[in-house]
Amino acid sequence: VADLHAPLLWLLLVLPLLAAALVPLLPRAVGRVVAFAVMGIVLVLTSVIFARFDGGADAPQLQVTALASLAGGVSFGVDAVNIYLLLLTALLFPAVLLGFWSNKEADRPLYLALLFVLQAFLFGTFLAQDLIAFFVCWEAVLLPMLLLILVFGGAERRRAGLVFFLYTVAGSVLLLAAVILLGVEHLNTHGYWSFRFEDLYGLHLSPAQQWFVFTAVALACAIKSPLVPLHSWLPLAYTQAPAAGTALMAGLLSKMGAFGFIKLAVPLAPDVASQAAPVLVLVAVMSVLYGALLALREDDFRRLIAYASLSHMGFIVLGVFSFQQTAVHGAMLQMLSHGVVVAGLFMLLGLLERRQALSTVPIDALATRAPRLAVVAMLFILASLGLPLTSGFSAEFMILLGAFQEGWSAWLVGQGALRLVVAVLACAAVVLGAAYMLRFARALLFSSQGHARLPDLGWREGAAFAPLLGVVFWAGLWPAPLLQRAQPAAAYLSGFSVGWRPAAAVSAVLPPARADAPEAAAGEVRTHGR
Amino acid sequence: MAAELLYGLLPAHLVLALLVALMLLEIFAVRPVAGRVAFVGLLLAAMGAVLHQLSLDFSTVILPGEMVVDRFAQWSQLVVLGTGVVLGLTWPANTSYKSWLLATASVFGAVVMMNSAGFAALFIGIELLSLPAFALMVHGVGTGAATDGAFRYLLLSAVASAMLLFGVSLSYGLTGSLSIDAFAASVGGGSALETAALLLVLSGLFLKAAVFPFHGWAPEAYGSAPLPVTALLASLVKGAVVLSLARVLGGAVFDANVAVVITVLALMSIAYGNLAALAQSSFRRLLAYSSIAHAGYMIFALLDSTGSRGTDLLWYVGIYSVATLLACASLAVLSRDDDALCTLDGGFAAHPVASLVLAACVLSLAGLPPFPGFFAKLMVFQSVVASGYLFPAVLAFAGSFLGLTVYVGIVLRLFRSERTEADGIA
Repeated sequence: VADLHAPLLWLLLVLPLLAAALVPLLPRAVGRVVAFAVMGIVLVLTSVIFARFDGGADAPQLQVTALASLAGGVSFGVDAVNIYLLLLTALLFPAVLLGFWSNKEADRPLYLALLFVLQAFLFGTFLAQDLIAFFVCWEAVLLPMLLLILVFGGAERRRAGLVFFLYTVAGSVLLLAAVILLGVEHLNTHGYWSFRFEDLYGLHLSPAQQWFVFTAVALACAIKSPLVPLHSWLPLAYTQAPAAGTALMAGLLSKMGAFGFIKLAVPLAPDVASQAAPVLVLVAVMSVLYGALLALREDDFRRLIAYASLSHMGFIVLGVFSFQQTAVHGAMLQMLSHGVVVAGLFMLLGLLERRQALSTVPIDALATRAPRLAVVAMLFILASLGLPLTSGFSAEFMILLGAFQEGWSAWLVGQGALRLVVAVLACAAVVLGAAYMLRFARALLFSSQGHARLPDLGWREGAAFAPLLGVVFWAGLWPAPLLQRAQPAAAYLSGFSVGWRPAAAVSAVLPPARADAPEAAAGEVRTHGR
Repeated sequence: MAAELLYGLLPAHLVLALLVALMLLEIFAVRPVAGRVAFVGLLLAAMGAVLHQLSLDFSTVILPGEMVVDRFAQWSQLVVLGTGVVLGLTWPANTSYKSWLLATASVFGAVVMMNSAGFAALFIGIELLSLPAFALMVHGVGTGAATDGAFRYLLLSAVASAMLLFGVSLSYGLTGSLSIDAFAASVGGGSALETAALLLVLSGLFLKAAVFPFHGWAPEAYGSAPLPVTALLASLVKGAVVLSLARVLGGAVFDANVAVVITVLALMSIAYGNLAALAQSSFRRLLAYSSIAHAGYMIFALLDSTGSRGTDLLWYVGIYSVATLLACASLAVLSRDDDALCTLDGGFAAHPVASLVLAACVLSLAGLPPFPGFFAKLMVFQSVVASGYLFPAVLAFAGSFLGLTVYVGIVLRLFRSERTEADGIA
């Protein structure tokens, strides 16, 4: 299998970079078409990889099934953790390009180049099987996004860009220290430098080192996702970025944080991860509730979706740190589902903003003024609030079921009711989710004023939304083929479950967790202050 | 022997030939463009000679205890000559032959420093490197001159030379030899005299490299010199001095006190340089403070005890110098006469390519992936952490974050524009 995939993976990484260099040189009229064609090819390649990828149900570890090695041992590979994100990355870029086909910026060479650079580094981040490659791509993703905001953003774009950039880079300061520490630890243990994940996963770090690594990674990921105390860059960036940038930021960049938790935090610092899980779960549910409450009170559509996104990202982290197979499956599916849904919603808002700029009448009553747009909007809204048969339902239901089971077993083994209460609170947030999304739907779709008709959904825009809706219903109606591919990762993470451990082992693990918990929380508050 | 002398020092000979060629060109009043062609061409030839030596695995001792041609000499010459080439390509078109001559003399000094195995040669090299720089500051490249800054630089440079010589004379008294190897071997001893000799030599070189708290001359000198000369000071002069630090200390092992001193100075340089850079409104002064911060990272690399000190510094100096030179060159395009940072506002609209080059260079200086500056810093930090300095490394990371705010500020300026800010779309 590896032989077959290696050239495909190569193409995935190289093709966008080549396109970024060459597309700006083409004449403007052709550039956009060629760009779309290249993104289409990338999507086809990804689909081939996705179709052939076999999770291998009995794989005990995060499994590397294909490697494309570069000089110096930098390796990229598809595994059970990144398979969804691979598909999501390949899917969203052509959809965004097509959706905003006739926007002012869409035929600017810089815009197309930035999209390709962004896509290449996102692939790099998700596919990296090497910590240095991961870190480089993780940071490099910021640059095209910063430029997208600075060049094509709204009125406050400089402040938004600065806040977004500095905030997210601040998280990486400790992360880089952790990266180097891990490499040095490998040097001390085995006598040579190595940053490959499979080598680093095998290191047995001391508790102090694990705390350092876990704190560093968790901080970086919590800023990127974002989680609640560290989310203050989010509303500004999501409102000031160009519509395409917001769709990609919410759809893909936020997933990097969740991905980092699964890929780095848990496997590299397993003991600390299971000790800190209650804290992370608590923070996650705070995000869920806080985001939902803010969204409930928000009138600006973009900010509303931004806060809703904060809430949904909390679900993902809740699922990951429940360490329960169903919940982890749900969390990974939520990455895919939320990526598609939030990108769809922001694309929709982008389309509406453009129509608004043309007509200057308020955007409402879509149901009568632009019925096709209204249908698409309603589908995304329903998926977002987790209506059964949509992806949002499959994902959130699995997360909540798993979190609840985990809380229940934690309670049974005498760890207190905290996790149970947290799971119940998260369930309550689903109701809030329905409330704010329906409020959004009412404001957007129905209104008493009868205005002139808006331009309805064009065929290009429809074609952009179609694949996203396809994924929404695929994951809602028949998620088994998806879940099967992510099975090894879910099985691996569920190995940390407290419920499944013998009681003796649990009591050995737990007291330090309680002792350390306030310390970790204090650390996060301090960083927030800085 | 004669053949070895000729071949081993071929790069230096080619730089000398360049000096002669430039004089002749001036005498015969050839069109000024020939100056650049000769400068870049002969430096490239010198690089070719070094590469040829490297491909043959050539090494020799020209003069025992004074001049050698070894691996480090060759690689560091490559860095210095490469810096010279980029400098030649980026200097303004109206550069006079006198300026090319002075720059060549500086390059020659740097080449001599890299070949030196003893303090006499090293000292000659350092003086050859810095004296033309004063002249250039006063004489100017194109227009403008800076006697005030040049005078301050001259004065402090003389102090640095005095400290260096004092340290060397102490070392000579202890070891009876002027060779660098003897000095490096005596460094770890830890007796008062040995430590004094080491600290004096370090202080002299730190002063030349503008490490905190020996940095006082740099903002004035960089700020008052014409931009091309600032570029020379920040790249070639600084790079050669730092490489000579690697040359002098090589694999020397420090005792704990000296290591503490170096750690503290490095961190102070990083913090002070980046913080002070935040407050600057002039590009050249910003460059000065940024170069103080970078000097901090460079001497931070001296803490390494895994044996990769020289390699780390070669990469760091090379990448830093090229990024600085390109930043200065693109700045010259973006803001013609004035070096106030506000002239960069909205530069992207007027000069998109130069703006993107400047942005890439300053982000490389900031050490942001995927730019080369990140990998340079990564190498330094890797060896420093491997040598057991995790906590100072974390502080240095935090310092780079301060630096990042400076550099991103420049990038933001490029994309600022009142006109487009109003209608919301660029």
